[in-house]
Amino acid sequence: MRGFRDVGGLAVASLDEEERLVIARIVADVGAMLGGDGFGDEHPGARPEREELADALAFLERADESPREPDDPALLRLLPTAAPTDADVSEEFRRLTEGDLRDLKIARLRRMWAQLSTGEGRWEVGPAEVMPTAAALTDVRLVVASRLGLDSEEDAQALHNDLAAAAAAIQSGEAADGALAGTSEADAERLWLGMLYDALTWLQESLVSLNLGGLDD
Amino acid sequence: MTAAPTYAGGVDTSESHEVEGSVATRTDDPWVTIVWNDPVNLMSYVTRVFQEYFVMPRQEAESRMREVHERGRSVLSTGSREQMEVDVQAMHGYGLWATLQRSGE
Repeated sequence: MRGFRDVGGLAVASLDEEERLVIARIVADVGAMLGGDGFGDEHPGARPEREELADALAFLERADESPREPDDPALLRLLPTAAPTDADVSEEFRRLTEGDLRDLKIARLRRMWAQLSTGEGRWEVGPAEVMPTAAALTDVRLVVASRLGLDSEEDAQALHNDLAAAAAAIQSGEAADGALAGTSEADAERLWLGMLYDALTWLQESLVSLNLGGLDD
Repeated sequence: MTAAPTYAGGVDTSESHEVEGSVATRTDDPWVTIVWNDPVNLMSYVTRVFQEYFVMPRQEAESRMREVHERGRSVLSTGSREQMEVDVQAMHGYGLWATLQRSGE
């Protein structure tokens, strides 16, 4: 993996096939979580007509549905409560904005998914797409962080330490057959998700720090 | 914490937000938009969000980002409840953790 560089005014990162698939998969998962139908379809243009009709009629369902606070903490982090001390303000805010917020986030994730699905491992982001892509990466990182239970800076530091220890163990040859000795399945899952989180963080940092998109000073 | 400046004059309202006619009873109390610290958002990204959405110079955006990071929260805008709803929605759009409340609460 190579982070974003400025290549003639385009932000360009390089991913190998496995990295590309893993990231595209989590992007699709977050899109689906937000209610994006048909997400992750390898051929986004070839969706069945029936689904398009359902999409077109989705507003009917939305019209008399008052969205409630999501139970899933990861989804709640994407669609937060606007006024935690005022249930009426929060409820009204959710009713007025949640549909638009979901649509915005799904549309951005779809564009990022499309970027990842073309270019043979060359991930190209034009200047106008830098911030939408960074925002989509944020949404994906928020979901992964929620799954990892990263609620504080201390949690993030603890994960960082665990990843460093695992990397050191792998380097010193303690890990045989790709598994760390004495590592439970839950720990292995945490390390895997943690590595994904780190990679996404690193990619986002490299993208944002390019300062493409004309926002300097 | 000291009173926060208002950036409503520079806010990009080109995106349509359906806030009209949203509620019957409103007071004239000014409301505030608060952005809260979280362990996920990158300092560089939050700075760019403040620059882009609140149309702040980079230095100002950086100092507001540091306030969020170090004090746990910062008031980013002040105004009517409707305006704050637009700002909070925009922050949620960017993935920042933002809330609105009456100022002084």
